[in-house]
Amino acid sequence: MNRAIARVGTAIVALILVLVGMLTYLQVIHADSLANDPRNVRGALKDINRPRGPIVTADGVVVAESKPADDGTEFDFSRTYPEGPLFQQVVGYQSFVLGSVGVERTYNDELIGRDSELQLRGISDVFSGKEPVGTVVLSVRADLQRAAAEALGDQRGSVVAMDPTTGEILAMYSNPTYDPGPLAGHNTKEVNQYYRFVTALPDKPDLARAYRERYPPGSTFKVLTASVALETGVATPDRPFPVISSLDLPLTDAELRNFGGQSCGGTLAESFRRSCNTTFGQLGLDLGDAFVPGLLQFGVGDVPPIDIVPDAALSIGPRPNTFQDEQPQFALAGIGQGPVATTPLQMCLAAAAIANGGVIMEPRVVKEIRDAENGLVRRIAAREWKTAVSPATAQAVSAMMVSVVQSGTGTAAQIGGVTVAGKTGTAQTDAGSPHAWFVSFAPAEAPEIAVAVIVENGGNFGSEATGGQVAAPIAAAVIRAYLAG
Amino acid sequence: MKTATPRRNTELRLGLLAVGITAFGYVLVQLPEKTDIPADLWFFVSIFIGLYVLAHLAIRQFVPYADPSLLPLAAFLNGIGFVTISRLDPDLARTQVGWMAAGVGAFVATLVVVRRVRTLERFRYSFLLLGLLALLLPLAPGIGKTINGARLWVGIGPMNFQPGEAAKVLLVIFFAAYLVDKRELLASGTRRLGRLVLPDPKHLAPLLLAWAVSILVMVQQKDLGSSLLFFAVFGAMLYAATERGAYLLTALVLFLGGAAIAHNLFSHVQDRVTTWLNPWDDAQGKGFQVVQSWFSFGTGGVSGTGLGRGNPQLIPNASTDFVFSAIGEELGLIGTVAVLAAILLFIGSGFRIALEADRPFPKLFAAGLTVIMGIQAFVIIGGVTRVIPLTGITLPFISYGGSSLVANFVVLALLLRISDDNARARAGGRRGRGVASPVAS
Repeated sequence: MNRAIARVGTAIVALILVLVGMLTYLQVIHADSLANDPRNVRGALKDINRPRGPIVTADGVVVAESKPADDGTEFDFSRTYPEGPLFQQVVGYQSFVLGSVGVERTYNDELIGRDSELQLRGISDVFSGKEPVGTVVLSVRADLQRAAAEALGDQRGSVVAMDPTTGEILAMYSNPTYDPGPLAGHNTKEVNQYYRFVTALPDKPDLARAYRERYPPGSTFKVLTASVALETGVATPDRPFPVISSLDLPLTDAELRNFGGQSCGGTLAESFRRSCNTTFGQLGLDLGDAFVPGLLQFGVGDVPPIDIVPDAALSIGPRPNTFQDEQPQFALAGIGQGPVATTPLQMCLAAAAIANGGVIMEPRVVKEIRDAENGLVRRIAAREWKTAVSPATAQAVSAMMVSVVQSGTGTAAQIGGVTVAGKTGTAQTDAGSPHAWFVSFAPAEAPEIAVAVIVENGGNFGSEATGGQVAAPIAAAVIRAYLAG
Repeated sequence: MKTATPRRNTELRLGLLAVGITAFGYVLVQLPEKTDIPADLWFFVSIFIGLYVLAHLAIRQFVPYADPSLLPLAAFLNGIGFVTISRLDPDLARTQVGWMAAGVGAFVATLVVVRRVRTLERFRYSFLLLGLLALLLPLAPGIGKTINGARLWVGIGPMNFQPGEAAKVLLVIFFAAYLVDKRELLASGTRRLGRLVLPDPKHLAPLLLAWAVSILVMVQQKDLGSSLLFFAVFGAMLYAATERGAYLLTALVLFLGGAAIAHNLFSHVQDRVTTWLNPWDDAQGKGFQVVQSWFSFGTGGVSGTGLGRGNPQLIPNASTDFVFSAIGEELGLIGTVAVLAAILLFIGSGFRIALEADRPFPKLFAAGLTVIMGIQAFVIIGGVTRVIPLTGITLPFISYGGSSLVANFVVLALLLRISDDNARARAGGRRGRGVASPVAS
């Protein structure tokens, strides 16, 4: 029996050695990525019992703060979100069950004072027993955020407003949203229950539509099509296009029709003002494979580097070097349908590019870090992200966008005394009524704010909705609030 | 008749080291909370020392020539387990101290009652019956209880215990005795089936019956871990007894067949396999335990977060099934490898005892008991590290759990008894007597 017993013993030793191998993998080779996995809340937990600074809006409204906990748990602090659902998709939450997301995560080090500049300033505080926690000041304004929420009302959709010259996000709101407060609770079971409840709702309030959801942009995408056409020399604002009601799509029996089956055309500028699908379908075909790199200059095909976790979703267009086989896709892309799907954030960046002489700034929601005494620690520097088009092209497209609001499809966005530039969109969807879109900026002469609005499935107007009717007034309301503030 | 060397002083020194490590760990666990030495330190340390000294004295009295490393290793594992449990849940730790006392009590009782291992061989069928009864007990209405989805428990008043833990030991006694008795018949074979030589079915029948019943009960009680353990232990013992690889192959085929059937029949088995393969798909739901366990190991890294400084309480069932992950987080690779090394040394001593035994029954019995320890450690550690699908089973001497701890101490006592017999037989053998002498006074 001894030989067999020795063999059994050897086999068991081998099994234990397999375990040693696996432990080496888990605790040495793979250890760092496991320790830093976003789903591993241990890192956040380490900070959960540390004092944590508040998050305030640019206009001084507290949207997140820590209070001493008195719920008899092991936790010293309760994180509260006084504005509830209004800022959830920007600020995120700090949860000991789910980890942290949003600004709570990206600026965690500044909030708990694990920031070298804050620590230097806090040296004197060490003796007084105060913690050098930082205050994170958002670039988002509470008044604009409220204006966006009120203008959307109970319609599903998003509003993104930014300063085109700095990339500072001024408002970023999606409806529906939810109150993050319960996720910061101290009872694991209740937190999980609430999380499951929120994530199971059919309207997806946990989806930050503004930067995490892609939609067909419809005619608002003509801003990009026109820009790329001008930039590549495929067209000038005066290039004439036939006045027709539909465009035959190559390689298929299908055709591209104008809105309401109307005849539409004329110069590029005239076609832009009236949003002629036939003209922009033709431009998509004329551009061909040159369309794709032109769109990439706008950020379509690249993730915008916004300072929020989780990252923004990627906006997509036609695939590179596929024009030969997929010509109809390029015609559809010209009018923002077919292969094109963009986030509201991306469409706001496109409007901002035109507003800022062709340069897109890195979008960000935080403006500056302050210390506990409200002293400025650091401004978050404005940085260029991409150069979409030349200043001349931007100027030409801006003029066309002004005409849209003055006498085209976007007259509902007019504001007395201010020149508004804009473009409407009514995007066909696979299911349900079309989405109503509007992208805009103002004042057109020296832009200070760019706004993108989407109302899913036409909102209260349903199948009768157009971007000019439903989305343009919302953008106007936000711009008005900005000018009043 | 001082012919074998008792190495009890070695054992005492090693054991004090294990006790020291435990006391030190217990202090460390409390430190992040309060900076002074815990008030109940001396209470727990003196209980721990007291129990250890009691076990040690029992060995001096009843099995003085036994292997000196087993008790210190068990004390080390038990101490690490106690420290980890006290870190996770101080209330549970207090209960665990009670179970340790019960375990040492069972240890001494086993040494007192089982004076000769041969005696056990004689009552094999009684043990079979007792083992089966113990397995079936949780199914009895009134006293059977379902905890965490598995009907493994018997509750009498406020006390819950798992008779299945006792069944493991009882059935290994039966297997060893039966196999030793029939091994020639089983190994020789009388019938041919193609190239395979099969033994007479009537010799195999009781064996297969015992096996089938235990498997059936396991599946019925949803205790996959024990089911897996039984297959492995049984296969290993059959192979050891007959030295025929064909049995190993048969056991493997039976196991794979059983696993496939269980997978098709039971949704909880499918869940386990799915979770094993893709825990990240449902990291907040079904995959939560294993994902958290991986996070524990990764966060611990090489040196660990330090006792009391990690968050192993994030893993559900951290003090029972996932106690090893808690050790991995707070003591790091150093801690987990130390535990594995202790388990390896324990198993090594167990197999050496088996190899040194000169009679077939103690030899096979010792091997069977050692295989239980080894496979049990592999099944649960493999489960929490995702080497194999997770099946709930205790980590010997470390996990919280009374029935398991008591059973482990009984296994320890039996191994020491066989080791003592071996030493006496070797000493006696030189005088021409192959039979172990009774305890010298």
